[in-house]
Amino acid sequence: MPDFEPIAGRYLTVAIDGVDHRIFLEEAGRGLPLLCLHTAGADSRQYRHLLNDAWVTERFRVIAFDMPWHGRSNPPDEWWLTRYRLTTAGYLATIRAVWQALGLDRPVVLGCSMGGAIVLKVAADYQDELTGIVGLESAAYAPGRYNELLHHPAIHGGELCASYTYGLNAPTSPEASRRENWWYYSQSGPGVYQGDVHYYSLDWDAREDIKTIDTARCRVALLTGEYDYSCTPEQTEQAAASIPGASLTIMEGMGHFPMIENYRDFRPYLLEALKQML
Amino acid sequence: MSAVAGPYPGPDWLERYRSRVNADRELGVIGRWFTATFMLTFGDNRHAVKVVEGRIAEVVVAPRFDVRATFGFRAPVEVWAKFLSPNPPPLYHDFFAMLMRVPAFVLEGDSLAAMQNARALHRMMNIMRETGAPDA
Repeated sequence: MPDFEPIAGRYLTVAIDGVDHRIFLEEAGRGLPLLCLHTAGADSRQYRHLLNDAWVTERFRVIAFDMPWHGRSNPPDEWWLTRYRLTTAGYLATIRAVWQALGLDRPVVLGCSMGGAIVLKVAADYQDELTGIVGLESAAYAPGRYNELLHHPAIHGGELCASYTYGLNAPTSPEASRRENWWYYSQSGPGVYQGDVHYYSLDWDAREDIKTIDTARCRVALLTGEYDYSCTPEQTEQAAASIPGASLTIMEGMGHFPMIENYRDFRPYLLEALKQML
Repeated sequence: MSAVAGPYPGPDWLERYRSRVNADRELGVIGRWFTATFMLTFGDNRHAVKVVEGRIAEVVVAPRFDVRATFGFRAPVEVWAKFLSPNPPPLYHDFFAMLMRVPAFVLEGDSLAAMQNARALHRMMNIMRETGAPDA
């Protein structure tokens, strides 16, 4: 018998702000919908361990999709006439479009890094339609990652973006896993990581929005790695302080990519957060 | 451990570092295009690292101004000591982390040339950590 994993990948055409986008998504499991958002300049492969975790998939319908321009999702038509720049509004519209197209009923939305940021806004805007959010490496305000050299014709962007983000892993995480994330990062299109960081570091500021989150309606679990220097533990602590009732966990020996850099050590933290959603 | 005698990081460490870099299998794969001289400045101690195709051909200690360098990293010795410690504290575990969060750690010179070599340069800087502390 072929050694198949239980993950199934499919393509979906979805209208985002009135424009059709061909999106790739993968899913596994049954139960409460768990919509997973990858990091900047990456794709849903980062969730392969979570999608293969039987404890999770016996309780959750896990769905991870590649954002437009990322992974196996296409950019929209006439992309060659557009400089890719993600915005808070565009990111939120994308998540909402996929959520509605799939008809997800009171999902949990989980995201990491830029995904960990936007879930705060998802919670603020849609808290009556959610079960909760799980924010990995979540900051309500995260300046400092943008720079012009991330997309430059004299630089190999794939190698730079992958190396630029490599140190965001904890040095103690398994090398093979850190390198795997390096490989994913090396594969993003020209300027895509920079376009994502444009949102994350320049456009994103939800410090006021998050004060409106009512954790009696929408549960909030925030988990951040101690080695994360893009979203530091202090930044997540600041976000949590604005959301009464949010759970906050600083993960020892973990960096910015817990679900891919060190799933074994991340798993107990993750399961604890997911139990809060059941 | 007593204080390190002489200038930091000292000739023994520099030789260990050079040996590790020049024996590194990964740099053998990715280093082909990395030919540049860059400066490593530990406090007041300057070193010009002459790299040819991913190998360190020479480290010039206290170079005069006739040794040309394209770019360099400069930081106080205390910052380098954290970077080179066996279990570096968060923010000191990677040169990109220090560039973002440790203001005393700076990239000097032509950052374009540095970033053109980001992959091999990053590996070379991580080998500094693998080389260990100068007094280890």
